Amino acid sequence: MKRWMGMPMSAVLALTACVTINVYFPAAEAKEAAKQFVEKVIGDEAQPAQPTPEQPKPEQPKPDGGMAALMQFDPLMLVGISPAYAQGAPDITIKTPAIQAIQSRMESRFDASLRAGFDSGALGFTQDGLVVVRDASKVQLKDRVAINQAVADDNRDRKAVYREVAVANGHPEWESQIRGVFSKQWIASARSGWWYQDASGGWKQK
Amino acid sequence: MVTLLVLFAGLMPSQDASARMLQAHIQRVVGVAATLEDVTIRLDWPTDAAAGELTLSAAAVDSPDLGYHYRDLHWRCPLRRTPDAHWTCDGALVSGRSAPLRLVVDIGAATTHASLATGAARFALDRNSASPDDTQLDLTRVPLVWAQALLSQAWAAGELKDGTLDGHLDVHAPTDRPLQVTGSLAVNGAAFQTPDATLAGEQLGGRFGIDYRKATNLTTMTLDGVMQGGEFLAGNAYVALPPSAVDVRIQAQQRRGAGWQLPFIAWHDGKALVADGSAAFDAETNLQALDLDLHSTDLAPLTGRYLSGWLAVAGLPDLQLSGTADARARVAGGRLQSASLALHGVDMIDPKGRFRFEGLDGAPAFSATAPASSQLGWTGGQLYGLDFGAARLPIVSGNGELRLRDAVTLPALGGTLRFDGMTLRPPAGDNGADIRFGLTLDALDIGQLSKRLGWPAFQGQLSGRIPNARYSGERLIFDGGLTMQLFGGSVQASSLSLERPFGVAPSLTADLVLDDIDLQSLTGVFDFGSITGRLAGRIDELRLVDWSATAFDAELHTVKTHGVGQRISQRAVQNISSVGDASFATTLQSQLIGLFDDFGYGRIGISCRLSNEICAMGGLEGADTSGSETGGFTIVQGAGIPHLTVVGFNRLVDWPTLVERLAAASKGDVKPVVE
Repeated sequence: MKRWMGMPMSAVLALTACVTINVYFPAAEAKEAAKQFVEKVIGDEAQPAQPTPEQPKPEQPKPDGGMAALMQFDPLMLVGISPAYAQGAPDITIKTPAIQAIQSRMESRFDASLRAGFDSGALGFTQDGLVVVRDASKVQLKDRVAINQAVADDNRDRKAVYREVAVANGHPEWESQIRGVFSKQWIASARSGWWYQDASGGWKQK
Repeated sequence: MVTLLVLFAGLMPSQDASARMLQAHIQRVVGVAATLEDVTIRLDWPTDAAAGELTLSAAAVDSPDLGYHYRDLHWRCPLRRTPDAHWTCDGALVSGRSAPLRLVVDIGAATTHASLATGAARFALDRNSASPDDTQLDLTRVPLVWAQALLSQAWAAGELKDGTLDGHLDVHAPTDRPLQVTGSLAVNGAAFQTPDATLAGEQLGGRFGIDYRKATNLTTMTLDGVMQGGEFLAGNAYVALPPSAVDVRIQAQQRRGAGWQLPFIAWHDGKALVADGSAAFDAETNLQALDLDLHSTDLAPLTGRYLSGWLAVAGLPDLQLSGTADARARVAGGRLQSASLALHGVDMIDPKGRFRFEGLDGAPAFSATAPASSQLGWTGGQLYGLDFGAARLPIVSGNGELRLRDAVTLPALGGTLRFDGMTLRPPAGDNGADIRFGLTLDALDIGQLSKRLGWPAFQGQLSGRIPNARYSGERLIFDGGLTMQLFGGSVQASSLSLERPFGVAPSLTADLVLDDIDLQSLTGVFDFGSITGRLAGRIDELRLVDWSATAFDAELHTVKTHGVGQRISQRAVQNISSVGDASFATTLQSQLIGLFDDFGYGRIGISCRLSNEICAMGGLEGADTSGSETGGFTIVQGAGIPHLTVVGFNRLVDWPTLVERLAAASKGDVKPVVE
């Protein structure tokens, strides 16, 4: 499968000749996308409780007229390579409505129940990008069913996200790589004191 | 009864003639229930005093049978002689650094009474020399944690957290026969947990008759009573006990060195659940064998009381059940051997509206070994708002999978769905469920489908044959294809697959080929203005996530057909232009459009490649583009007079905006913008 590479590169290619290059997994872009996603779900560490002024939510642009098209407009279109943009250069996008909907659901779930579980040490991030109840004794029995459900729901959402990010970017075969990038990012973005599983499967506290 | 192995006692006359002191040191005292080490007894009794001071201390008190071990025990009390010739002593008992308890001992000629109390808790012991083998125990609000050592004998991992015991026990401990404890106990607010928290209970209440016997090689216990209120969980199973009483009867026995066996278990929770059976655990308390018969006359309370833990994890937390059911499960050698479920008039409703089954009846049986035949039927149901009719599935199970013995025809949407060769392998270990089947659709009414899904009023029929469909890893993949007879033409769907059909963001992919679609009927349905002619094209790699389009590569064009006129109405032109966000232009002056009701056209063509919310648009292939300095594309190529050409300029269109405008156009509330 031959596709355009990253954006700046495609500009250069368009200027030189009709050269196409085999697609590689855009690890850096994937990492950036995962970071955006994860930080949004986990929240801003610097201001955990402050009600920050309502940011315009990117998933609800409610564009009027062609404004949205303009917002999506890329200057590179002017040099006549706009089709490359629309035809899916391997920039990793997480802006599909499905992914955005899952993200905002995960964000509210994280605030409602999972964050407390991570703070108490009851929950941990697994090495394959999921959440697990690693120490149920930290959770009151009356809350256990709810936390089990939240963890199961969250893991269903996570699996869907990893799959959808791969598919939405036109490469379903990237699913496991995307998942790997996300699992590293969950751990990287985890707060101090939260638990995670290292590559050998052992539990560590950040 | 008490044997003194080593005895060293001395009576030492005090220097002070007004007082006497008795002191004894005993290295070891061995009783039936306990052994005391390094015991010191000291009694100071001033001559004229009414009471003497008794101090008793022991370096260690061990009761291996009951599991109690104390170190550094001290009891100090005033010893008195009562008028009825009893000796009494009432004082504080301290063990190590723990809080003191009040120990009262009263010894008469034939009776012995002792009671241990702290706060409202009181544990009393009575003996009578007439029956030297018997001891009576009375418990009043005794903390359950006092029984921790006793519990640890039977279940090492169990930790008692909270709760009180009230009741009366008779301990019969003859030297030549087994120890026997009988009586009744009431438990209040009991809480327990294992260190890994896989088993836990809270606020449990109940009253039990107890019969416990311990011989050298065999321990038996019978519990018979009621449970009332509380909750407990085991793994993902969660039980919230009802406020009404649940009758419980358990017989348990343990041979030396082996695990507990429960030859008889009964759990009778009114109409919700009646369970009878037996179980066996190995020495590490792992379930080895289970034979359980369950019956529910009324399934409605079952989900809240017994199934909520599993349902929550399965993503069906509010599943509604009604009707009656029987179930039977058999575990041997630590593995599920067979399970069966008999449903009688069961309604199963997903409140999220994904599915509902009505009148489920039958007994689908699962067998890991020998083949078993069974069947399951229903009177009706709904899947994502689409009704389906009654069906009866003949099921054969064996070798760990379920199969349909014959093809099953299911009435739906005015036509039929026919499933054949279905096999289902339930989830096992790391492998999820795996389902394979063939599917034939016959004359499903697209009008009904459209109505249910809230689409415009399409009319037509859906038929097709999918020889192989496979569900595994949350993906349902169809080989073969479906054909829809729509608007006088056809739409062929192939490469169909469905991901997470009941899960997060269900996603459908397909390739569609459209052929010979009558544009007049199509535009009529959308109320988009009128276009006559025939339409063909393709929608490749269509992907619907949560039932809305997120990606496709579509190209649609008209096909000149003999005897079919090609006209486009003024309103359709205006709608096409306005949907295009004024980036479509006509070669006519805008005033001129208003003068004509419709126009002839040579070709209409449009393409859209949707990804990342952006539709990359194109027009007729090979058409001349006028005003092409910005790369315009021709959508409508006119024919005759007046000659109309619609050209689009904006190649990248925001998809949500486009959808919004299309929806508005079909409602007729968009003002035309013509440049």
